[in-house]
Amino acid sequence: MMLSTLILLPLIGAAVIGFYPTAISGKTARQISLSIAGMIFLWTVLLTIRFDPNQGNVQFTESLIWIDVLGLNYRLGVDGLSLPLLLLNGILTVIAIYSTDESIQRPKFYYSLIFLLSTGVIGAFLAQDLLLFFLFYELELIPLYLLIAIWGGIRKGYAATKFLIYTALSGILILASFLGMIWLSHSPSFALETVNAHTLPLTTQLLLLAGIIIGFGIKIPLVPFHTWLPDAHVEASTPISVLLAGVLLKLGTYGLVRFGMNLLPQAWEYAAPTLATWAVISVLFGASCAIAQKDMKKMVAYSSIGHMGYVLLATAAATPLSVLGAIMQMVSHGLISAMLFLLVGVVYKKAGSRDLEVLRGLLNPERGMPVVGTLMILGVMASAGIPGMVGFISEFIIFRGSYEVFPVQTLLSMVGTGLTAVYFLILVNRAFFGRLSPQVVRLPRIYLSDRLPAVVLAGLIIILGIQPSWLTHWSQATVQVSVQKPASQLTQVSK
Amino acid sequence: MKQIENRVHPLHEFIQQLQTGKALLKDTPENVLEVVGILKSYGVVLDAYSQNLIYIADHQFLVFFPFFKYFNGKISLPQLFRHWWHDRINFEYAEYCMKTMMWHGGGGLDSYLDSPEFAHRAQAVISAKFKYNLGVIGLNQLFPDFLIEQLRMSAYYSGLGQFWRVMADIFLSLSDLYDLGKITSIPQVVEHIKAGLVKDALKPITYQVKIGEQVYDIIPKSMGLTFLADTAIPYVEAVFFRGTPFLGTVSLNAQAYQVPPDQARFEYGALYADPLPIGGSGVPPTLLMHDMRHYLPEYLHQTYRRSLRGEDDLLVQICISFQKSMFCVTTAAILGLMPYAIDTEDPSEQTANLVYLEKWMDRFKTSRLLEANN
Repeated sequence: MMLSTLILLPLIGAAVIGFYPTAISGKTARQISLSIAGMIFLWTVLLTIRFDPNQGNVQFTESLIWIDVLGLNYRLGVDGLSLPLLLLNGILTVIAIYSTDESIQRPKFYYSLIFLLSTGVIGAFLAQDLLLFFLFYELELIPLYLLIAIWGGIRKGYAATKFLIYTALSGILILASFLGMIWLSHSPSFALETVNAHTLPLTTQLLLLAGIIIGFGIKIPLVPFHTWLPDAHVEASTPISVLLAGVLLKLGTYGLVRFGMNLLPQAWEYAAPTLATWAVISVLFGASCAIAQKDMKKMVAYSSIGHMGYVLLATAAATPLSVLGAIMQMVSHGLISAMLFLLVGVVYKKAGSRDLEVLRGLLNPERGMPVVGTLMILGVMASAGIPGMVGFISEFIIFRGSYEVFPVQTLLSMVGTGLTAVYFLILVNRAFFGRLSPQVVRLPRIYLSDRLPAVVLAGLIIILGIQPSWLTHWSQATVQVSVQKPASQLTQVSK
Repeated sequence: MKQIENRVHPLHEFIQQLQTGKALLKDTPENVLEVVGILKSYGVVLDAYSQNLIYIADHQFLVFFPFFKYFNGKISLPQLFRHWWHDRINFEYAEYCMKTMMWHGGGGLDSYLDSPEFAHRAQAVISAKFKYNLGVIGLNQLFPDFLIEQLRMSAYYSGLGQFWRVMADIFLSLSDLYDLGKITSIPQVVEHIKAGLVKDALKPITYQVKIGEQVYDIIPKSMGLTFLADTAIPYVEAVFFRGTPFLGTVSLNAQAYQVPPDQARFEYGALYADPLPIGGSGVPPTLLMHDMRHYLPEYLHQTYRRSLRGEDDLLVQICISFQKSMFCVTTAAILGLMPYAIDTEDPSEQTANLVYLEKWMDRFKTSRLLEANN
């Protein structure tokens, strides 16, 4: 029941905070929510401690027949692919709640939506049934839409609706592909271990894979399905941007590995060169757009598009090393982008602007925000893949693992890391160096609580950069199993 | 009083203020609190600076490696540890001001130090100091300007020390009067400083050193150097107006003519300084702000604590207050040096006064006068 508890905890949390009998202040709501989020995180840590990293198969499996006639089962499990993402979700949920303004309007509703979102994400990562995954995948859509639409910026309605349309389309495509896989292959149920999609003709597999790639490609997002992301990020509040970039985008890459690469290996192999080229386009397009941005948050958002392209490249190469790199990149991007969004949030909260043509000299030791600036420099260095930080390790593993399969695409993707350094240097140089601009010369005080979440993430980024094996050893066995064996064999192993 | 209309000058508003005996700084209770409070801490610091400058001039002259020059002759192990721990006053700032004064020159002290009279007296001191040191005497023959230049510098140490001795007392007595409720406005602050300057205007500036039992006059009283004309005015010119281009967040490239080739056109003094780079390592004014923060009166410290960033930008706040106070000191100097009485009825004298004030105001065009008043 460990995994069900992990799903139930945020669900109970949402109910507790949402139906709290009396009116509570934002501060109290945040304290209660932090306690619940802390429990979820600790439960995830406990799960990690009990997880056997030497086993590549799904562990802690739980299974219940739900709607037999539909072949829908409540099947949960965790492996080396989902465990790091669960940990990431746990820590980023705590950080997102901690970073929420105490004076937020309608706090009970806000925090209950965050826990519903967390329920959806955890459920999606644990689901071992296609339909169950889809239900959880769709579940996170509603709270996220509301979180942007209610607590967002000036154009929140536009951004939330755009997000809703894109993600709904993504859901339709994914559902159609899932149904196609089950019905066309006459699989007995939606359970992952019984899916026989790999037995389908290649053309059918390719069609199904196209649905999966585009569906999850919208979520990742891949160019040209990315346009919802910068708008959503710009309009979302900082904690929601943290969750969006840190965790929710990973549902897309997770889906590609879990359902594209694992369930349709033959089609995946066939489409891989196209996917690798697509990854290059995403990397270079994302980085080029980031260079052109004047809004710090949009720049970080476009950088996400570029960095998620590396995951696609690694997944396309599908070597043990590259897939391990993809998992690492999901975690490292989650940590780094969350940190960058947090820091941009602090700058915006204090300076009232994210405009790189307005901000200048924020590193001023007296009147600026020197610690925030220092953390920002550290964050952009991590994002640009400077050695000693987790971004370097993940990108290095991806390039090392992908080069043997797609040398040209890998080399072109490596240009993206150089471009990352370019746009982030532009950001740091414009916003943090020089004399404080007159518009921001009277910044309010920066408190420890403003910096603490980013400091925690910076610590993780450095620790995992110096000791990456603390991250990789949870996934190595799973990667070996999933890359070397097709889905049918996986089924046998997990039994 | 009949005044000549003056609406042409961009800072005519300030000229009119001065013509009516007001200050360059707006008269508000907040400004009075800031200026008096900061001048109190400045007075304490100046007192320490002046003592050290005079000690160096009197006891460390012609010492080539004055390792313990900041100890005022009281060397002990605990004091050494405190020095290394940086639990001390930054006497380097006093030296920075001394060197700035020496570099820009001006006034009777500068002229005297370039005269044969000084060279003759200096040579006598050198001969006495190194009577038994043949090596140094030989070097002095080879490089005859070197030791004399060292004594010139010692004379500036002494001159600035004597100047600050007077100023420290003026600022501390100002604070005492404020505490007694006798100073309540900016014009009163200016008047107090002006009175202090005028009172000691003719105070002689002298410099003597003792070698063995023999006393040597390096600047004898007979030279007629006085406090106001020969130290105060050159100091204001050098430190308040000209200054030196210092390292900070703004880099200056002399080869690209970002630094004027003519020293007289320098505008890096206290009245022009941007308070924001304060806090950057190695910026000399930062040292002064660091020193003053230890001696802030409680009422001023509380004002800073109540500000938007509390004590996070204390050095910048001190710098802004200090700059305001320096506009008051400059007002006192300008009013004290007016060619004719402010309330003169003579049109030719009024014109002379106006020309005098316009010249000053020309120099304030690029200063932080407007920012200090906003």
